[in-house]
Amino acid sequence: MNNRLEMHDITRTFADGGFQRTILDRLNLKVAEGELVAVMGPSGSGKSTFLSIAGALLEPTRGDVLIDGKSILGQDKQALSELRLRKMGFIFQNANLIPYLKVEEQLMLVAKLAGSSKEVCAQRADELLQRMGLTHRKNAYPHKLSGGERQRVAIARALMNDPAVLFADEPTASLDASRGLEVVAMIAKQVKEQRKSAVMVTHDDRVLPHCDRVFYLDKGKLTEHPV
Amino acid sequence: MYLALREIRFAKARYTLIAAIMLLISFLVLFVTGLAQGLAYDNAASIQNMPATHFVLEQGSDHRFTRSQISGEKLEQTRSVVGESNAEPLGVQMTSIVLSGDIQKIDVALLAVNPKGWLAPDLTMGTTEKQETGGVVVDEKLAEHGVRLGSILVDQASGTRWTVTGFVKNESFSHAPAVFLSKEEWMGLHLPSSAQSGPGSAEGQAAYNAVAVKATEGEVSKLQSAVPNTEIIKKADAVSAIPGYKEEQGSLLMMIAFLFVISAFVLAVFFYVITIQKTSQFGILKAIGTRTSYLAGSVTLQVLLLSVFSLAVSIFLVKVLEMALPGTMPFQLGADMLALTCAAFIAMSLAGSLFSVWKVARIEALDAIGRAGV
Repeated sequence: MNNRLEMHDITRTFADGGFQRTILDRLNLKVAEGELVAVMGPSGSGKSTFLSIAGALLEPTRGDVLIDGKSILGQDKQALSELRLRKMGFIFQNANLIPYLKVEEQLMLVAKLAGSSKEVCAQRADELLQRMGLTHRKNAYPHKLSGGERQRVAIARALMNDPAVLFADEPTASLDASRGLEVVAMIAKQVKEQRKSAVMVTHDDRVLPHCDRVFYLDKGKLTEHPV
Repeated sequence: MYLALREIRFAKARYTLIAAIMLLISFLVLFVTGLAQGLAYDNAASIQNMPATHFVLEQGSDHRFTRSQISGEKLEQTRSVVGESNAEPLGVQMTSIVLSGDIQKIDVALLAVNPKGWLAPDLTMGTTEKQETGGVVVDEKLAEHGVRLGSILVDQASGTRWTVTGFVKNESFSHAPAVFLSKEEWMGLHLPSSAQSGPGSAEGQAAYNAVAVKATEGEVSKLQSAVPNTEIIKKADAVSAIPGYKEEQGSLLMMIAFLFVISAFVLAVFFYVITIQKTSQFGILKAIGTRTSYLAGSVTLQVLLLSVFSLAVSIFLVKVLEMALPGTMPFQLGADMLALTCAAFIAMSLAGSLFSVWKVARIEALDAIGRAGV
């Protein structure tokens, strides 16, 4: 089995009023191809820090992050930006779509940023929208969509550049229970079908049955719990 | 490009409002610029039109034609340096005239030039022929006061009578329409008084106000030593020494400068507020891998689009206005000045966008994670 995301001995400390506060303490995680992993934990446990480091938004104090077997550390901002664009897909808490882009354009934007040709973008966007059941909404602005639809657009946007890893930051937080389940089921399905590795930070335990493994983040370490 | 255009499409009302403000400001900039240019030209047209490079004035005359007295001797000395054909005497005097049979006084500038020389303006109507015998050529603006070909003008100071033999266009000095007369007529005005003031030959006393020369820089420095008790000034200095010229242009220039600064500020504040409003959005865009340079380019492009669009509309409006303005309104906006003003306006707008670009560059992608969102 192929691990598209690996985190080795990740430590992150913050200077906090003269103290060195350790948020993450030699944390290890391997996520295989086609696998959706949930990370749970109380607020303040460092879930955001964990996700930021995995997502190349924050440098760890020590340790290494590998995407498709390659270390992502020690690169400049521009290279990291490029890496996030091509190798990672992000799904945020409130979908966070760009308010002035129509559904289809949300997807076209990320493909254009990655330099794909117009035909390729359009074809890929069509295909993804169809898979998400959004074809009839492709010319709608985000404010016209329901919460569930918005989150599905966000999933499609995250998948647009065919990334190695998907990161989801509390994707169900603003949805009701059944919509939340639907969205996570969709993420799980895409991850399986397209052989991605995915990490979802959540504290909604109703969605855990869709995940392959569940971890709890506590005292800077991840411990696996049975699903 | 992609983002900038679609955002404008989406938030039409917002961008239309700011474009309207920019439009008003740029229109005002162009209008005041045209007015300043027009007034400048109206004030000094006759001097501006002269193909001279420099003027020889009496020392201590503070660059003013009307204060300077140049004798025929100095004219000859000047001619010996720059060549006979490159120096022409010039007389300037402000006076008021009355159209014969009328009582309305009109302020005019008397300009004494050789009718066959290169200082003489091109006629639009009439002839210069009878100038030695009381004929004068006048600016077209006098036509509004009822002056026609063959009209008799009476000088209020001397009582001299002149016959209008021709018209010229755009000739004025110190905002007064020009009346061109010959050397002989000029002498007639000035000789009696100078004959009383001292002895000497008529030629020696033939006082002009200045000598217009066409000279190279090398000849100018030679002139300075060859013709004593004179100052050699550039044409531009002569223009700005016309009474009121500097003050008039100075206050208009100040208005224009303020308008430029205001437009930069309006844009800066508008885009800064919008940028702050979109902080989380920029954070998301950065998190999903948008380069800062792309976002900064997007903001700059929006500023550029707004200012170019506003300018285009205001150029159109100014051109329409220019056609609608009456001929007496001094308004002049040449292609050069228009291009320069537009370039300055766009440059100021872009300067105004720098603040927002700086703000965009400072937004952290990290903010996108773990935030409830806006």
